[in-house]
Amino acid sequence: MQPLMDFVAGPLFRLTFAIMLLGLLRIVVLTVWGVIQARRQTDDKVMPWKLITENTLGWLVPVLRLWKTRPIYSVVSFVFHIGLILVPIFLIGHIQLIRESIGIGWPVLSDNLADILTIVTMVTAVALFLGRLFSKEARFISRPQDYVWPVLLAIPFATGYVCNNMAIGAGVYQWTMLFHMLSAELIFVFIPFTKIAHCVLVPFSQMVSTLGWKFPPRSGEGVAETLGKKEMPV
Amino acid sequence: MIKPITEEERQHAFKTQRKPEVLEKQKLDVRYHIEDPVVDGRAQKFLEAFAAILKNTNYGFVLDQYVRSSAKCSRCATECQVYQATRDPKDIPCYRSELLLSVYRRHFTVGGMLRGRVLGSKGLTDEKVNEMAESFWNCTACRRCTLQCPVGIDHGLVTHLGRYILSEIGIAPRALVISTREQLEGKTGNTSAIPVPALLDTLEFLEEDMEEEKGVKIKFPIDQEDCEYVFFPAVSDFLMEADTLMGNAAVFTATGGSWTIGTGYFDGINYGLFYSDRMLDRIVKKVVEETRRLKGRKILIGECGHASRSAKYFVPVFCGGKDAPPVVNCMEYLYDMLKEGKIKLDPNVITDPVTYHDPCNIARQGWIIDKPREILKSFCKSYVEMTPSGKNNICCGGGGGTVSIDEIRPYRTTIGGKAKAEQIRKTGAKYVVAPCANCKKQLRELMEDQGMDDVEIVGLHDLVYKAIIFDESLKVKKEEKEEETPEAVEKEVE
Repeated sequence: MQPLMDFVAGPLFRLTFAIMLLGLLRIVVLTVWGVIQARRQTDDKVMPWKLITENTLGWLVPVLRLWKTRPIYSVVSFVFHIGLILVPIFLIGHIQLIRESIGIGWPVLSDNLADILTIVTMVTAVALFLGRLFSKEARFISRPQDYVWPVLLAIPFATGYVCNNMAIGAGVYQWTMLFHMLSAELIFVFIPFTKIAHCVLVPFSQMVSTLGWKFPPRSGEGVAETLGKKEMPV
Repeated sequence: MIKPITEEERQHAFKTQRKPEVLEKQKLDVRYHIEDPVVDGRAQKFLEAFAAILKNTNYGFVLDQYVRSSAKCSRCATECQVYQATRDPKDIPCYRSELLLSVYRRHFTVGGMLRGRVLGSKGLTDEKVNEMAESFWNCTACRRCTLQCPVGIDHGLVTHLGRYILSEIGIAPRALVISTREQLEGKTGNTSAIPVPALLDTLEFLEEDMEEEKGVKIKFPIDQEDCEYVFFPAVSDFLMEADTLMGNAAVFTATGGSWTIGTGYFDGINYGLFYSDRMLDRIVKKVVEETRRLKGRKILIGECGHASRSAKYFVPVFCGGKDAPPVVNCMEYLYDMLKEGKIKLDPNVITDPVTYHDPCNIARQGWIIDKPREILKSFCKSYVEMTPSGKNNICCGGGGGTVSIDEIRPYRTTIGGKAKAEQIRKTGAKYVVAPCANCKKQLRELMEDQGMDDVEIVGLHDLVYKAIIFDESLKVKKEEKEEETPEAVEKEVE
């Protein structure tokens, strides 16, 4: 058991974490490159920065934007994101491990707050799953990954909570911890290749959509040429 | 938001059917007329056109962003007035976008191509193209859904691209294509096919009318060089919205503004915005060319949403960025003049309740929202606001070029415009001010079909024309008015 634990906590963790970081880095680089290219190619360099900033920040911290549309779903989703982001990054147990391995650390959440956030995250994950299942609209446009993600994301929270708070035997603890780590590692691997990539793309989305309308000046002629329609009437 | 349509309404909305032999020949079951679509190998041709567009534009990087981040939260469904009316999940904006995004993912991303090969999926089919041909033209391109997308997907842009690709394989509403052809290649050079002599006649007639009504010589200056503004209204206004044009002319006369209409090109309409960037490009170039021919300094667009947006946002794109002439909407000019005190409006003329409809193409990006309201409030006795309005307004239901497709009128006035009709009904307004040729046509048809005949759809300048007070110095003196110059007599004889 111990060698397996060591492998999962060591090399496998490093590998999967690296896949996530590099995968996300790749997406960010491609997006930034795309933005630069689009800006370079268009003649219309004027960007509505105020509007873009307002909308970008507005969606990064959407507290004022939740009430207009699907308010219950939106609030649940927002609350879900809080725990999802804060707990893994600021949990004292995680910080201790990081400090032990690479020698750096940062402020941590109190145990109580971490526990509350964990429970809230699990509950909201289930709510999101059910919400999707029982909403006609959401169901119609959902792909398999849309159902899998809330469940998958809840697993490390549930297992982590059990390990931290429940009086369980050493054997059960080990298995639960193993499950905790494996599920997290599975998440790491999938993040860059699924919709969770929005975690790094949202800051760019308003800018990208704005640039989407700023076509290269000779794009029309170029399309006509490629399609052999240059001399063709309308 | 709104109640879904009843079964009876549904049948009415979808009653338009094209002839069976045409459907058989074109192998495409859509409600709008099409000239000559690609029939054989439609999917393949679609992919070729898609590839050509991706090669020459930046759409690829935008689609990459959307494909990667679309979270399928379905918030857009609550915002879409088409979906709210039909409750057909195929009308959910995110579903509509996915039609095209899935093609992009499958055929133009490495992951998609690999997955396709491994899973043995055959990729895009003719049926899927046909579904897009219907879906993309059910949308009014109002882009309201975009405001509610947490990951910033502009479904309007995706639909815009989808229509562009379809048009390259011959699938675009005939009404739009024919008009654009006349505008770019026809004898008259405008979408309403108005010959220059007819235009001049119309304007002269309006000038006479205005002199009679207002006692002031109000002119439509023709082909004058070095003016501040060269005017491009939706050309259909010359035929259908005389009151709006008279308002424009009255405002310029009262303020002593320098403006002109060019006989070389005088059409603000740009259906390219609705179906083809290639056409959008060619049409805005005509506007700029005429402005430069007349050595005009700015492009002035009349009361028309899409004409305003296509000039404001695409003149810089296609005609030299910051070197391109600036674009001004006539409401902006009016507002400035009002603030400078150069316009006086009689507050006792418009006494019935007035409401303002935001054209999506003007308001959605937050361009012109408060100015027309301030103008109206300055002289209308009773102004009522619609909710929601401004950036978050509800489309008239004829946006995205659909208003010009006459054969789908039952669809537009039952489904597309249902939310708007309810909104207008709630205001109890007598006048709905809609500063857009498209919105006006759609709203009039909507009022007629929804049995709301007592509501009057007008332009902002229509009401301004009614209320404008001219300086005494501009008034034609009695003797001057009656005096008939030899030239005038000669002209009349002709």
